[in-house]
Amino acid sequence: MGAAVDHVTPMGMSGGSAEGNDKSEGQRFSCKSKLTALVVDNGGVCRAIQTALLRSYGVETEAVETGEAAVELIASGATFSLIIIEMLLSFMNGPETAKQIRAMGAQSKILGITAFFDERDQQEFLAAGADNFIEKPLSPEIVIPIINELDN
Amino acid sequence: MEGSPLLRQVAHQRQALFDEGLLDEQFVQLEELQDRTNPNFVEEIVTTYYQDTSRLILNIEQELERRPLDFGRLDGYVYQFKGSSTSFGAKKVKAECSLFREYCRAGNGEGCMRTFQQLKREYATLKRKLEAYFQLARQARLTQTASPPG
Repeated sequence: MGAAVDHVTPMGMSGGSAEGNDKSEGQRFSCKSKLTALVVDNGGVCRAIQTALLRSYGVETEAVETGEAAVELIASGATFSLIIIEMLLSFMNGPETAKQIRAMGAQSKILGITAFFDERDQQEFLAAGADNFIEKPLSPEIVIPIINELDN
Repeated sequence: MEGSPLLRQVAHQRQALFDEGLLDEQFVQLEELQDRTNPNFVEEIVTTYYQDTSRLILNIEQELERRPLDFGRLDGYVYQFKGSSTSFGAKKVKAECSLFREYCRAGNGEGCMRTFQQLKREYATLKRKLEAYFQLARQARLTQTASPPG
């Protein structure tokens, strides 16, 4: 697959990497309201990329490695517009994390995310209180509609 | 400096990573996240990817030496490998992870071992070609800095 490269100069070159994250209009898409997000993922790469993607849209984003850390954060009073939770976390899994977050009364939009889509995992996550469940990667096509929804 | 032979070589080398199926569109997303506020983002992600995956390779190697094989644990490691590789845009590595996982789920030890060898080969190729590309890109940036347009 030859990924479209005409619009992206090799990274770091003059003309550099794209200023905006909306290729078609050359303008940076950004959330209108103050939105916050929490990324819960035990993979360093996934955590870093998801965080960077959300921040590029103006979403104030924090990231933690475990479900326990996420629950502790919310129990301490932190609130988030959006929480993205990996399915297979190291100790307390994604659905259990979502369940505990909902049990605390959190109204956040919760997105379950997985490396391998499985209908049983989807059902488990949704039953635990997640609003949606997707397979990685987290992409602009997924994130922008969510941000628009939260903005409105 | 645009259009210089070195820059053209960098662009060509980058395109080859996609044409050879080593990277997919997801890597372009990473490049688009790099900007003036985050000027080293791609290389930082690459470093994190290597850290994540080299640990997983070691874990899988150790697991494959145990008897009997614990397919549950192997499955867990491959799951993480695929997640990282998908988010990074490592297309061939991701595909090998999917195949590996099928063998884990089928409890096929030989299939697991065979696929893991192929996964390591794809991973090594990706790493080698990415490092060559980044080295050339750094060289081109230095040349640009030394000879600004004007």
